[in-house]
Amino acid sequence: MVSTSTDVKLMAHLLRRAGFGATKEQLDQYISTGYEGVVDSLIDNEDSSRINNALVRRYFPDQSVTHDTSGAGSYWLYRLVSTDSPLREKIALFWHNVFATGYTKVTNGKPMSDQLRMFRSNGFGKLDKLLLKLSRDPAMIIWLDNVDNHNGAINENYGRELLELFSMGVGNYSEDDIKECSRAFTGWSIANSDYIKQLAVRNSIMPYGKLAWRYEYKEDDHDDGEKTFLGHKGNFDGEEIINIICEQPATARFISRHLYHFFVADEPPVPSWPYKEPQDLEAISILERAYFDSGYDIGEMIRVLFNSEFFKSETCHYKKIKSPAELMGNVLRTTEEFVTPNIRISERNSQITFMGQQLLNPPSVEGWHQGLEWIETGSLTERVNFASQHLGDLSKPGVKKIVQNVMSDEGESISAEVCVDKCLDQLGAIQTSQFIYDTLVEFAQANGIPSINLLKDPENAANKISELMSVVASVPEFQQS
Amino acid sequence: MDGRGFMFPVDTAIGKNGRMHTVSRAYAPATAQLRITMYDIDSEYFGIYGGYGESLGQFKWPIGMASDQSGNIYLSDELNNRINVFSHEGDPIKYWGQSGSKEGELNGPSGIAFDSGGNLFVADHMNNRIQKFTKDGNFILSFGNKDQDTLNMPWGVFVSGDGFVYVADWGNDRIVKYDSSGEFVRSFGSRGSGNGQFRNPSGVAVDEDGYIYVTDWGNERLEILDKNGNFIQSLRGQATISKWADEYFDGNYEEAEPRSRSNLEPSPVQFGGDPHEESAHIEKLFWGPTSVKLDDDGRVYVTESNRHRVQIYERAG
Repeated sequence: MVSTSTDVKLMAHLLRRAGFGATKEQLDQYISTGYEGVVDSLIDNEDSSRINNALVRRYFPDQSVTHDTSGAGSYWLYRLVSTDSPLREKIALFWHNVFATGYTKVTNGKPMSDQLRMFRSNGFGKLDKLLLKLSRDPAMIIWLDNVDNHNGAINENYGRELLELFSMGVGNYSEDDIKECSRAFTGWSIANSDYIKQLAVRNSIMPYGKLAWRYEYKEDDHDDGEKTFLGHKGNFDGEEIINIICEQPATARFISRHLYHFFVADEPPVPSWPYKEPQDLEAISILERAYFDSGYDIGEMIRVLFNSEFFKSETCHYKKIKSPAELMGNVLRTTEEFVTPNIRISERNSQITFMGQQLLNPPSVEGWHQGLEWIETGSLTERVNFASQHLGDLSKPGVKKIVQNVMSDEGESISAEVCVDKCLDQLGAIQTSQFIYDTLVEFAQANGIPSINLLKDPENAANKISELMSVVASVPEFQQS
Repeated sequence: MDGRGFMFPVDTAIGKNGRMHTVSRAYAPATAQLRITMYDIDSEYFGIYGGYGESLGQFKWPIGMASDQSGNIYLSDELNNRINVFSHEGDPIKYWGQSGSKEGELNGPSGIAFDSGGNLFVADHMNNRIQKFTKDGNFILSFGNKDQDTLNMPWGVFVSGDGFVYVADWGNDRIVKYDSSGEFVRSFGSRGSGNGQFRNPSGVAVDEDGYIYVTDWGNERLEILDKNGNFIQSLRGQATISKWADEYFDGNYEEAEPRSRSNLEPSPVQFGGDPHEESAHIEKLFWGPTSVKLDDDGRVYVTESNRHRVQIYERAG
């Protein structure tokens, strides 16, 4: 097994967590920028210029309009596999999981896409601003029934989840706080709410497609009376409630734990957090400090996280299981199938569902629990088959390029060990256990790779190497991050 | 999928006796809704034909339509790289076309139009050119992909009565005029949203007085220019409720009632000047205007994919 430099291993680790992995070719470019420079560029880069929205709209009118979720989901997947701002899509995935909003109730792709666009724009910003945008987000207003939250007849759904799942966590507020919080958000609604609700319930596209949704503050329906919330008293509206929420140590801990869970190592599912301490209290404390020192700035928390020793430590490399979105993003970026938008993206968007993650349709307001819950008999088979099939397909431009790189400079033949080393290196400096490495070498040997004359029979060699790539796609270290 | 209505329609052909044929492109998971609908100006419904696939009478990514002198309907399919031919009644007759980039081959055939001699011009968009065929698919001529006048993913095409070929040069934000032999004559417009400018134009048509009608797709509008390319008028759309929609509301009071209390024309100011957003929120506006067609009775037909409808205007006298 060839030794890979610490710089390369660390950069590969960063790109797996902050993006969707990187091939050797991409890693070489990142290395020249330096670790901290790459962290800064990932956080500070504007939205990707590589996304060809006009061509998407020309080919797939359903992907940008008020239709069902399949188009909106396909469009997001296209962004995941095409963007040159991968962390911006990653942060959208992060918030989509924390502020889980689902198509089953929203039944309109555009508000879902608009919410993701809001996450891309505000996901690295201040938490108070983000929560304010979230509270005015039309998809969220329908999803958690704030459209039915009226002066004198509150609906607690949004107020409850804002505290329980979006900011502080169970055990840090009372039932009265939920009621007072809900009162503050009365009148935060959407335009044409009665008509929109009917269309959403009936999932109707008649007669001219669904309407787009927009936030509307209904002053007449807002409860402007005095409220007592977390020990504070005043005629609070939603914005002031959010300011109080963001001041709470519980909020700092909750957001820190979510960031750790998503970017560093799997924590237990969110519902058990009130009863289980974080696995790395020191790391959480560092993130909490960053939260308050930066004035609740998520981007600064992430910058601290990626530059911390607890993130860089090799003890957490390959310790997270890639989500289906991360796995698919990794594979399709490697195969370079979607450099321009094409019709197969909708097939991939269906396929990701079979792996257990239908984009824009989380299983509940708790989002996906992540970690080991990604793996079950059916989803594991789907993950392995998908990755193996695509990375073993020489007709994909990215696979062809990698196989050529493996064969280049090798003369007439290549040993099984060198072939495995180069495949792992090309796919993103993957480090495997000795057992997995020996198994791959054994496969390369048994598949006859060392006995092929690369110069006389390059086609056969390429086929055999692509078969090896297909096996690499199934090993734990490829399925993990 | 049977019945009236469209699902992401992209083009309309005006056939024999004014019968209209509108093709619904639908979308990938809902390919059962891909079809051509026959109807007339009075919303009389005559049925549907076509469907998803590769066999005779089927298509996958339908995009451009034209009617020949005998009333047969031609339909381009930019995924199967072929031209489908149907009778006036929707019976499949044949298809032709070969994938590739050599002369006579197709890579993403989009807009199509007949000249007065019965030859078919095809916007071969991924090959960045226009090709001319006999109506049976025999190659005649190719142009538009040479030197400084190279087209960039052309979409709509139109041939005027005097034989000039007009192309909606989608990627270059302009309309290009060629003579009948494919020689560049001139171009109109530049990228922008001002008068006479375009943002990814999708369709073009020219009336007998020389007025040029352009579906300015990225700006969600119809622009009208004079024969020299000077700006005359811009329309953002003013759709009313169709007969089919009226009948739908008659049977669906649960939707009709709250709709009657809704504001379907909010001020566009709040949408940041983005025409795509304006059209998403204001139902009467064009949203995704993909083609413009003219009939012999002075009407202008704009097919708009995102609102699943066709808006019809009378030409000014």
